[in-house]
Amino acid sequence: MDWRKVWVVARHEYLTNVRRAGFIIMTAAVPALGILVLLFGAFFAGQARQLGAFFERQFEVGDEPIGVVDETGYFSPILPEYQGNFVLYGGEEEAKAALLDGKVSSVLMIGEDYLETGRVVVMSTGSGFGAAALSDSDRVRAFFVDHLLAGRVDPVLRERAAAPLDVEPRVLSSGGETRGEGGWGFAFTFIIPYFLAFFLIMTIFVSSGYLLQSVAEEKESRVIEIVVSSVRPVELMAGKVAGLGVLGLTQIVVWSLSVWGFSGGAVLLLAATGAASIPARVLALGVVYYMLGYVLYAIMMAGVGALGTTMRESQQLAGIFSFFAAVPYMLSGFLFTNPNMLIARILSFFPLTAPTMMMMRLPLAEVPWVDVAGSIAVLLLSIPAALWVGAKLFRVGLLIYDKRPTLKEIGGILRGGG
Amino acid sequence: MVIQVQDLMKRYGDVVAVDGLSFEVERGEMFGLLGPNGAGKTTTIRVIMDIIRPDEGRVMVLGQPPGQAKAQVGYLPEERGLYRNLKVLDTLVYLAELKGVPRPTARERAMHLLERVELEEWASRKVKDLSRGMQQRLQFVASLVHDPEILFLDEPFQGLDPVNVERIKDLMAELHREGKTIVLSTHQMNLVEALCDRILLIDEGQVVLYGPLAEIKRQYAPHAVRVRAPHIPLDLPGVVGVEPDDGAFNLALAEGARPQEVLRALLDRRVEIQAFEVAPVPLEDIFVAAVSGEEAGGRRQEEGEDGLA
Repeated sequence: MDWRKVWVVARHEYLTNVRRAGFIIMTAAVPALGILVLLFGAFFAGQARQLGAFFERQFEVGDEPIGVVDETGYFSPILPEYQGNFVLYGGEEEAKAALLDGKVSSVLMIGEDYLETGRVVVMSTGSGFGAAALSDSDRVRAFFVDHLLAGRVDPVLRERAAAPLDVEPRVLSSGGETRGEGGWGFAFTFIIPYFLAFFLIMTIFVSSGYLLQSVAEEKESRVIEIVVSSVRPVELMAGKVAGLGVLGLTQIVVWSLSVWGFSGGAVLLLAATGAASIPARVLALGVVYYMLGYVLYAIMMAGVGALGTTMRESQQLAGIFSFFAAVPYMLSGFLFTNPNMLIARILSFFPLTAPTMMMMRLPLAEVPWVDVAGSIAVLLLSIPAALWVGAKLFRVGLLIYDKRPTLKEIGGILRGGG
Repeated sequence: MVIQVQDLMKRYGDVVAVDGLSFEVERGEMFGLLGPNGAGKTTTIRVIMDIIRPDEGRVMVLGQPPGQAKAQVGYLPEERGLYRNLKVLDTLVYLAELKGVPRPTARERAMHLLERVELEEWASRKVKDLSRGMQQRLQFVASLVHDPEILFLDEPFQGLDPVNVERIKDLMAELHREGKTIVLSTHQMNLVEALCDRILLIDEGQVVLYGPLAEIKRQYAPHAVRVRAPHIPLDLPGVVGVEPDDGAFNLALAEGARPQEVLRALLDRRVEIQAFEVAPVPLEDIFVAAVSGEEAGGRRQEEGEDGLA
């Protein structure tokens, strides 16, 4: 392998593709979207606040007092701590008048059969959303619990009954360590890696898509024959994989920087705090799977790209690989509940699905070390195999212009000298 | 000897593309590689260029295996094209760099060659902006931008207008004078006759004719003379047949008869001779004859095929 030629190819691929209109548009799309959002925000800032307030009024129970008509006696008189928020009315008509006058936001009609049925008629003006929201309101719930239990139980018990649980999730791993401090940190442990993995998988496809394009174009324009008379196919392949891998990284860096710039670093900091709660092992393995995944996919895209006679045909052939890589995402619903389910473990040992599958499983749960070692071994073995097959297909496929080789012919190529 | 090919064999599945081919190309010569479509020319060239590997046989380029001589060999493939969206100069520089030429040297040589084919003003334009003829010229110089010792030209005149054919021919002649070895593969026999020193004619992957062009033509020459005159007496000594041909006559000679004797006999009879020549045989006829197994230009020497192959 002549590394100087690999470098020449890599630099050429990078420099020509970085100037492509498609690449520039794709790369600029994220910052441009950011600018649009910022402009939109600045322009509509005032209106937005009013708009927000309007929606809040529609959905929030709000702080306006709520009228109460009590036929059970449990709520009369209203306990002192609720007197500012709840107003007792003697009868239905009186309460309705107060509601129409806007003195109260809604009226709770607690009938005689309340204790047996729990039935409460809620009267409100407007859409009725407010009435529905009342049943979920912590304030209303506390009002009922407190009045029902007042004087009958210990105040601490009464308070607990009003708010029975405040969840703080923790995940226990085999080492006995726990992770996830409080609700937000816990959510980030799942969400951030999920999106980081998605992001990285995107770049694998962006880069290997460019690779496919570059091979197909060289073949379509016939320049390939001059190129392979100057460099060995394996050097050409290595140069393309390297150059376009860096191109993909360029895109991620531009996107990340723009996100960081537009949000004053907030989003990235958030990502960093999220990432900080991911064990270093997961991050390190993520990088390993990213690299292995890219190299494997890139080599296969190059080999397949060489087989098609036109760009379109090559893309169709390569679609098969994209499908395999997407399989773990199709299973993500199941993966969230059980990251170590059998099908996930099986797919982790299959080279085409292993990178994406492992990147998704790792942040979700403690993945058995057998799976980690096994999937890395499978990838490490598939890469030279793919390189061998890819270089052969490349060498022969590149020179077949008029028709795509049949499966039988491909078999012949692989058996023969090529 | 700059190229040595010995018992070269290449199969594609059941099809034998090259079947035990042996030949040599000498330093500084213009060598014609001829053959009908599908004869195995391009396969042979691709093996010498290390684009494909032979199944059997030995190929040496400048005393090295093909893979190690890439920097000294230039190639203009039959199936050709360039990076359409790349600038003219960048294209040449990249292709030179792939051959191992350092960037600054590559730029210098590329500019020099662009001047030579009158494309220097297009250096910073994209390839796709060039006309067809310009692209062909660019393609041609792309094969010599790394200053190779040996140049393979596969159908260099394909699709060129007469003006550009002349341009490329002149450039080839110039390169030949500079001492470059040129292997020319083409179907245009008139150009082979005009340019090549030696030829190799192959068919179905095997050698049909191989040797100096002049010698081959002599061996294939019919035993006849061509005379342009108002009439030809029918009883000339040593003449066994007279055939009118495009305003002239082809006179087939008897075995042992010499053209000079026929000329003397014509003069003795006071025939008004406008032209007299030993009947030539166009390379095209030799090509067709050799490939189809028919006789070239009327009569063919018995030992022709065997003696030369």
